[in-house]
Amino acid sequence: MSVTSMPPSRLASARLAPSRLALPSAARALWLEFKRNAVPYVLPLLAAVFYFNTVRTADGFPPVWTLRASAITDHMLFEFSAFAGGLAAWAGSREGRRKTTDMVATTPRAAWARLSITLAGTLSWLLLAFLAGVAVLYVQTALQATWGGPPLWPVFVGAAGVTVVTVIGFACGVLFPGRFTAPLVAIVALVLFQTGLRQALGVAASSGTYALLSPASSPPVVDAGVYYHAAPDLSIVQVMFMGGTALALFGALGLATALRELTPSRGLASLRAGLARTDGWLLRAVAVILVACGVAASWTAFALAGTAKPDAVGGWQIPALHSAASDQPVPATPACTSSSGFQVCVHPAFSFYLNDVAAVLDPVAAEIAGLPGAPLSAKEVASISGGQDVPSGISGNPPVFEFTAERVGMYFGQFLGIPDPVGWREGFQQGLLDAFLARPSQQAGSVPLGPAQQAVEDALLTAAGANVSATIGKMLENGQPIAGPPAVRSAAQRFGALSASARHAWLAGHLAALRAGTITLAQIP
Amino acid sequence: MTAAEVLKPPASPAGVAGPGPAGLRLVWLHLRSRRAPAGIGALAVCGALLHLALHWHWAFNSGAYAQQVPMIIEAGAATVIAVTAYSPFGETERSAGRWLPCLRLLTVAGMCGLAIALLQLGAVGESLNAGVLVLARNVIGITGIGLLCSLVTGALLAWTLPMGYMLFCQYALLQAWTAPWVWPVRPPADRGAWIWACAVFAAGLLLFAIRGPRTRLSDDS
Amino acid sequence: MLTGIHRSFGKNKAVDGVSLELGSGVFGLLGPNGAGKTSLLRMLATVLPPSSGEIRLLERDPRGPAARREIRRRLGYLPQNLGYYPSFTVVEFIEYFALLKEMPSARVPKAVAVAVERVDLGAKAKAKLRTLSGGMLRRVGIAQAIVNDPDLLLLDEPTAGLDPEQRVQFRALLRSLGETATVVVSTHLVEDVGAACSEVALMSAGKIVFRGTPDELTARGAGHGVGDAPLERGYSAVLSAARS
Repeated sequence: MSVTSMPPSRLASARLAPSRLALPSAARALWLEFKRNAVPYVLPLLAAVFYFNTVRTADGFPPVWTLRASAITDHMLFEFSAFAGGLAAWAGSREGRRKTTDMVATTPRAAWARLSITLAGTLSWLLLAFLAGVAVLYVQTALQATWGGPPLWPVFVGAAGVTVVTVIGFACGVLFPGRFTAPLVAIVALVLFQTGLRQALGVAASSGTYALLSPASSPPVVDAGVYYHAAPDLSIVQVMFMGGTALALFGALGLATALRELTPSRGLASLRAGLARTDGWLLRAVAVILVACGVAASWTAFALAGTAKPDAVGGWQIPALHSAASDQPVPATPACTSSSGFQVCVHPAFSFYLNDVAAVLDPVAAEIAGLPGAPLSAKEVASISGGQDVPSGISGNPPVFEFTAERVGMYFGQFLGIPDPVGWREGFQQGLLDAFLARPSQQAGSVPLGPAQQAVEDALLTAAGANVSATIGKMLENGQPIAGPPAVRSAAQRFGALSASARHAWLAGHLAALRAGTITLAQIP
Repeated sequence: MTAAEVLKPPASPAGVAGPGPAGLRLVWLHLRSRRAPAGIGALAVCGALLHLALHWHWAFNSGAYAQQVPMIIEAGAATVIAVTAYSPFGETERSAGRWLPCLRLLTVAGMCGLAIALLQLGAVGESLNAGVLVLARNVIGITGIGLLCSLVTGALLAWTLPMGYMLFCQYALLQAWTAPWVWPVRPPADRGAWIWACAVFAAGLLLFAIRGPRTRLSDDS
Repeated sequence: MLTGIHRSFGKNKAVDGVSLELGSGVFGLLGPNGAGKTSLLRMLATVLPPSSGEIRLLERDPRGPAARREIRRRLGYLPQNLGYYPSFTVVEFIEYFALLKEMPSARVPKAVAVAVERVDLGAKAKAKLRTLSGGMLRRVGIAQAIVNDPDLLLLDEPTAGLDPEQRVQFRALLRSLGETATVVVSTHLVEDVGAACSEVALMSAGKIVFRGTPDELTARGAGHGVGDAPLERGYSAVLSAARS
């Protein structure tokens, strides 16, 4: 018996027993690709970058869903772009690098189908990693947030961004299977992302449309999506643009490989002859359709973005896509506390800091309670209304101190990277007193306090337990800004040394003059 | 035909050069095997990208944000240098002789110098916020990381760790970190940053020159 | 069937007016370096189009995509320089090509198992390709070429790196494959041709300078001094005559 006549042993079947799961061919090939893709080897590095760049940045945001979700498009997409583009280029160049071009060219499967499997495997890993990152972010937020639910549009935009960068990188790798393609694609993707951010931060009605199509943007206002729905118009346009671009590129790749198979040699004559062939038309037709659909989607998105205009709540709306329902306020019952008789109410999305707000405002409210214009309660309001920023202030009858959530970011370290609860507290208290001491016609903080007003404010802050610094607030004397001159500090100390009732009595008699700016430092007891 | 005639060494073929030109020829062939000419082209692309970024104000004009885009491009140049470390010959080359470490060293040093020059050329006439010193420090430091990475991943994937480090430094830039090991975010005169960058470059260059990038069986075929 | 096939690369005529008709059996292709063997094989593999002439493979014209696709389903090709994906295992690599060859999904696992055993790599089935020696890699290449039981099998230097025992087994495998398929083997090793091939062609400078049985080639070497074996002497004699 020779080797040729000996049937393959039963051992062969036992050693290589087929899997119990009988998958279709494409699924089997995809599973192979999924198992052996290079992306998993880079995931630990990507996870480390994700932790430092995205998670730690998001930790500095208050636990408001829209704010935390902004980290997906502003930070996650940034780090994923680099690795997605580079690794996709790496995968696309595999046949050229591994010199399997001839071998795979002799197989009947169309090159486009073969490349699609590789692209699908790479994209699957990247999207899985991206979604895992989103899950980490959202679980962390879910454990801390007090209202609302996870927004999905940032996830769609992020996934579209990862997809388009992957397809671009893959196409570059297929067409240019050289060693420099992967790093160059990664760098260009990063630069384009950063350019988009730069444009977005300066975006205005006169800015280029590209600014709005870029998924990266500045962090939204702290209460975005809280008082009013965050319109998905821009997200829809971004997904259309990126998805359309990815589709068109994918179709172009198929057209290029199909034409390469039909045209045995280079040259225009060969290309014309190839295009004239009727066989292989189905593949070409599908590729052309995909290119057409992709270009149509991208172009439509581009045109729609050009019609965008700022909406009344700090976002953007696109008339053709806008739904009037998203302009309605989001119903919510405020969270309130009134442990000392001074009621403080915040939106339930910010109820995590309600007690801190009450603890901060109560002592200051107690100092000025009963005085003309002193607020009886405090209420959080939307930071943007009618397209305008809403300043903090005291209004209504009975007077209510209305404040916005803009300071809550400082509490979490959003701006400095370090939580600054002391700075937040003192700034908040100062905001109430600025509003109380300002002239009725003035917005709080719009005009610096005079020396006497500053001295009274410092004294009241000290009485409320704040550590007043000489540089808090600006002062004007003869129209020139001065910083905490000794006279102001001295007057503040004098006034602060009085008993609470004495201070209260003096303010009751001199509040109008103090607000009008006619009280001098010497007149302060 | 006698045995003596058979054993007589053949006359040198025409055109074989002497020691001087042979050394240059060796260097040139080594550079070509590493696709250094294409790498220089890639570095020129980085320089052009930097010029466009500065000219069209893709970067912020001042402050921490101004360094973001230049840092990306400087890291890109460093990854291009790291990827030129790839050898198509594998073990055949390693067993060939003693000049390989010198050739590797020369290649990397030369590419670093060219990268700095080409990037600086791209910044001519524009305002490079952090200046050429930071540019040079970033290129050599991140190249060192790429060379160290090539010892583990192989040269073709040596761009991954520098990319990750640069992304990490983007975060450090915005958070105003002061640790010297995040040298891309430190000011030009920061001595600690220079020490770190040079030390990483020296370590990477030394190990790379002696050991070469990691090769696998497939790289030999 | 090849009729008047020409293939040039610039000014270099790699294949210069080759006509061949092949049926079932093992057909050897001999020739010195640069004779055009690999170019001819690549044209038969539908990877390289001829500059002129006509090719018909498995009764089809490979110029049409549909016909080419059908040919490739029934084709097996082992190139001279085998490319591979080092992180794949033996089984995965062969399975990948079985799937690319559009084998029915249900048949793939068994076909892969058979191919692995036929090249005697059962013990290394789950090993990653990067861990294999050069000879084993060559056998993996052979396995991917035969996994779909091809009607046309093209092998370029298939025994490079194989030890003598493996070459004996391989020749037996060739003979068994040649019973039902057309097998074309391009090689420098005349003893492989002598042991496995029923017919042999000798190429020189892009042309076929000899076509016949190995015995006929041996006979041409009678009286010729160059070569250690009769077949080698016949090889040298034919080449010398062609060059003169």
